[in-house]
Amino acid sequence: MSEKHLSSQFDSDLTAVSTKLMEMGGLIETQIQNAIQALTQFSVPLAEEVIQTEDRVDMMEVAIDHALTSIIARRQPAARDLRLLLSISKITTNLERAGDEANKIAKRVKSIVEGGEARMMPISDLRLASSMAITLIRRALDAFARLDLEAAVSILKEDDLIDQEFKGFTRKLITYMMEDPRTISDSLNLLFLAKAIERIGDHAKNIAEFIIYIVKGTDVRHSSLTHIESVIH
Amino acid sequence: MPGLLARLIRLLLLMGAGAAIACLFERGIFGIAFGIALGGCLWLVWDTLRLLRFLDWLRRLHEDPDTSPPRLPAMWRDLALRISRLLRQQTRLTRKSKNRLGNLQAGLQTAPDGIIILDRAARIEWCNQMACRHFGLNAQRDIAQSVTHLLRDPAFVAHLAARDFNHAVTLTAAASSSQLLSVRLCPYGQGRLLLISQDITLFEQAETRRRDFVANISHEIRTPLTVLAGFVETLQTLPLTEDERQEYLERMARQAGHMRRLVDDLLTLSHLEDSPPPGLETWTPVAALLSQIEADARALSALTTGENAPHRLSFPDADALSQAGEIAGAAAELFSALFNLVNNAIRYTPPGGEIDIHWTPLPDGGARFSVRDSGPGIAPEHIPRLTERFYRVDSARSRATGGTGLGLSIVKHVLRRHNATLTIDSDLGQGAYFAVTFLADKLRAVRTETQPSAESPS
Repeated sequence: MSEKHLSSQFDSDLTAVSTKLMEMGGLIETQIQNAIQALTQFSVPLAEEVIQTEDRVDMMEVAIDHALTSIIARRQPAARDLRLLLSISKITTNLERAGDEANKIAKRVKSIVEGGEARMMPISDLRLASSMAITLIRRALDAFARLDLEAAVSILKEDDLIDQEFKGFTRKLITYMMEDPRTISDSLNLLFLAKAIERIGDHAKNIAEFIIYIVKGTDVRHSSLTHIESVIH
Repeated sequence: MPGLLARLIRLLLLMGAGAAIACLFERGIFGIAFGIALGGCLWLVWDTLRLLRFLDWLRRLHEDPDTSPPRLPAMWRDLALRISRLLRQQTRLTRKSKNRLGNLQAGLQTAPDGIIILDRAARIEWCNQMACRHFGLNAQRDIAQSVTHLLRDPAFVAHLAARDFNHAVTLTAAASSSQLLSVRLCPYGQGRLLLISQDITLFEQAETRRRDFVANISHEIRTPLTVLAGFVETLQTLPLTEDERQEYLERMARQAGHMRRLVDDLLTLSHLEDSPPPGLETWTPVAALLSQIEADARALSALTTGENAPHRLSFPDADALSQAGEIAGAAAELFSALFNLVNNAIRYTPPGGEIDIHWTPLPDGGARFSVRDSGPGIAPEHIPRLTERFYRVDSARSRATGGTGLGLSIVKHVLRRHNATLTIDSDLGQGAYFAVTFLADKLRAVRTETQPSAESPS
């Protein structure tokens, strides 16, 4: 993960906190997968599982932040180490938010099924965007483990595809609602679900930006793709 | 030690020469001593030059182990030879173990399972191609990476943390979430681990199918049995008039008949699965086969429509069929498969609907039997699963019309045994089209002298 330090204790501290982050990442991946599966199968037990696991995610976030504070206080890191620790803190926040989106999906699935409106909705339209979101989060975490710049840039590019998918889906919903006002409540539910999926993609994109920050030391948030590519090469 | 002797002689000679030269300038003990010292110094310089040559050779030896030692006097040459021999031995040993390691790794590469070797801190030390494919790893890049950084599934992380080596954990593959892997950890050495991943997708599918089958069949048998038991109880406990008794007994007979059909279908299926496929020994005239189907279809249609408008059935005409030749295979099986398709069309098409049955010779010598109806049609998402056992698009309706849920399964099995293929094309409200395509080698032209009679039953 990082080069050797004079203090091997520092090394093992950094590895330990990275491992904790990856563990949290793994949990978030599962949360998102389960939430999407609950959505496609209208499965309440799966949705319940996602909602219950949310507490564990929150606890992990607190534990990672605590570990980071203690490392920064004791070691006073600089340069790349400092960037790594700051980024881990921000990636944790992003993962937690992605977990929140999974939680939102699960809660909505539960309320849809309990409201008895399931099966009527064209869930399959969300399938592409949701599988893209799952893949993006997984690739973002892989890229973090390997500190892989190329993968990070490709994630930035692909998030645009999810955004386009979301826009297209919104347009489609608008036409449904205009044609038949009875579909409005279903369509709104779908819109919220699509928005949650789109946000998961955004969090993956943020994680990718922090990977570039760790390796290159340049903050590429809010900058264009061409600028980012010029930073990397 | 000839080397040592030569060395000493050379030193003494140089010293002597030094002393002799010194004597030319100044005789006496001081002169001689100075001469000896000068000779010693000269020897030292000479020897150092050799040492430099030797070191130069050693340096070259690093780059190319086959460099021959330089021409040097005895002791230096001895040293050089010993070093080069030692080096050659070491190189041979390294090459041998490298070969052995390479063979071992090549063997592990070809293993059908994914293999990852983990060091004491659970970092990846080596992994084979299959493991890379299973977990989306990169064999060069991910070396020394903590395994939990890339295999992040909480189930695996917990499994690794618990150091549970007796059980396997089931994970989904990186490439596709429908691929299932059984992952096992084996400890070895001092705290090192071997991770073995096995693709169990097919096994799991078979297991699910078996479970579904048992659940389905229990359900299918229990439903008529419950009805039957209900009637028995009614007959036992309630005082009934003779008419009511008759009516109940009739209903009981219907349920018993349904159960018998179910068991018959199951036996047919298991027979189809177990017996070898029919060869080219028995041939049945196509015309006879189709005329039997036509007769049975008309009877069934009359039975189902009753008072309502009859189905408009259209069959290929007898003249065309007399040219269709003969088909190889088990006649009873073929009849049951083809009639099953017609039977479905009749049962699902409302009275007055159209059902077209065709027998079309194909340019390659094969033929196609097709049934098109004007019924409600089948939604596309159901079509791939129609031939699964007990798969029903609308279970209430299918059971009400007396279906066992095994018909198309039997059709599929029969056709597979005859190398024929089933094509289904339908959409909601579009009617349904079922076609069976027979290959050319299962058909032969009719012999002219023995015209098959259209009425002969198969």
